[in-house]
Amino acid sequence: MSPMNDKSFEDVKDAYVLGALPNDERATVEAYLALHPERQAEIDDLVGITGLLALAPPEYEPSADLRRRVLDAVESESARPRAARRRPASSWLGRFAGLRSVALGAAAVLVVGLLSWNVLLQGDVHDLRGQVEEARSAGEAQETREIAFGGTWVEQGARAEVTALKDDRAILVVEDMPSIPEGRTGQVWVINDEKPEPSGLLEPSSNMAATAITTPLNNADAIAVTVEPAGGSDEPTSDPVLVQEL
Amino acid sequence: MFVAKNRQYAILADEDLMSLMEGGDEEAFAALYDRHSRAAYSLSYRMMGDRQAAEDLTQDAFLKVWRSAGGYRSERGSVRTWILSIAHNRGIDQLRSLASRRRTQDRVEQSAPRSQPSEAFAETWRNRQREQIREALSTLPEEQLKILELAYFSGYTHVEISNLMDLPLGTVKGRMRLGLKKIREYFDQENVAIPR
Repeated sequence: MSPMNDKSFEDVKDAYVLGALPNDERATVEAYLALHPERQAEIDDLVGITGLLALAPPEYEPSADLRRRVLDAVESESARPRAARRRPASSWLGRFAGLRSVALGAAAVLVVGLLSWNVLLQGDVHDLRGQVEEARSAGEAQETREIAFGGTWVEQGARAEVTALKDDRAILVVEDMPSIPEGRTGQVWVINDEKPEPSGLLEPSSNMAATAITTPLNNADAIAVTVEPAGGSDEPTSDPVLVQEL
Repeated sequence: MFVAKNRQYAILADEDLMSLMEGGDEEAFAALYDRHSRAAYSLSYRMMGDRQAAEDLTQDAFLKVWRSAGGYRSERGSVRTWILSIAHNRGIDQLRSLASRRRTQDRVEQSAPRSQPSEAFAETWRNRQREQIREALSTLPEEQLKILELAYFSGYTHVEISNLMDLPLGTVKGRMRLGLKKIREYFDQENVAIPR
């Protein structure tokens, strides 16, 4: 795919709002939007048009049984203690505390590794990387955190970097990712006050992936990545493969 | 008392119900469900083509709405659009994961709520909106409408549509663009605001 720039954004934005882009292209558009928030209004405007399509089908009345099932499910969730509704992030992350020193130790290696981006990165992630570099040189990037993630992916040789932008958004780029089983996806979580918020999907292009982190990192306690069913989950269903306390 | 409370929910705007849901108000959720489940189910049925799959998708979408109430941003669109986009996105994910292409209590009582039209009026209004939308779609050339439907309701990517219809990818993208533009123009020409 050609690099995502203003022209190529124009080219695919209609397909994006219709949901007609494959996941890797969708992630590229979202990463572009993270770098160009001034273009979000165009997308919101188009979403208003595509949203009309949702009202076009003939109307059918859902069954009373469906209503009962939905309300029972909500009541059941409410009945559980709030802490039990989600896996407590502290314990969820706690298993990885020991990895912190390992991860910090790996930081020097990571920095060296990141210097080889231009050689290693290809395709969409290369394009995204170029945009990140462009943003940095233009002074749009507030902070680049060469984060030493821990987790099983790191043990398997993966490297990750987060670039924070001025508008509180950030981009996560992972290289040398282990393969993800079919029907599964990498999902980013921003943990805030022990609550993991779904914050983007990592769709690999070869063995690399990039995504805009959709939750602000300002007050976040940690960033983590888990492997989830395709399309992502509402809450983590597996242990982190990447994790970094902030 | 319960009836009185339900009446209060019925006159609250969607945005107020969302605020109440953030605080864990199940009755606010029930009111929102009653207001939008038919549209969500109809969309789900159109996408999945099967009653059971449509019910599962609708349930999945509304549970997501319940869990993500804090994620709603009014500046990005109406609550209805948000709910339907959740159903749509999850429907797309499900279609693509399938091999087959068959493809706030006190606040309620204390606040002065923004009023919602009466249910009868609201129903009439929604029906009118649907008519306008269908009229808008009827103005599209068949080849544009088909591509919008394949993308939006059936979950095909632009490349898949290109292969399916034996059209250059650029043509598919062009027809998507023109189709959406034409829908907008319909509402502009009719001097009607685009329903949110």
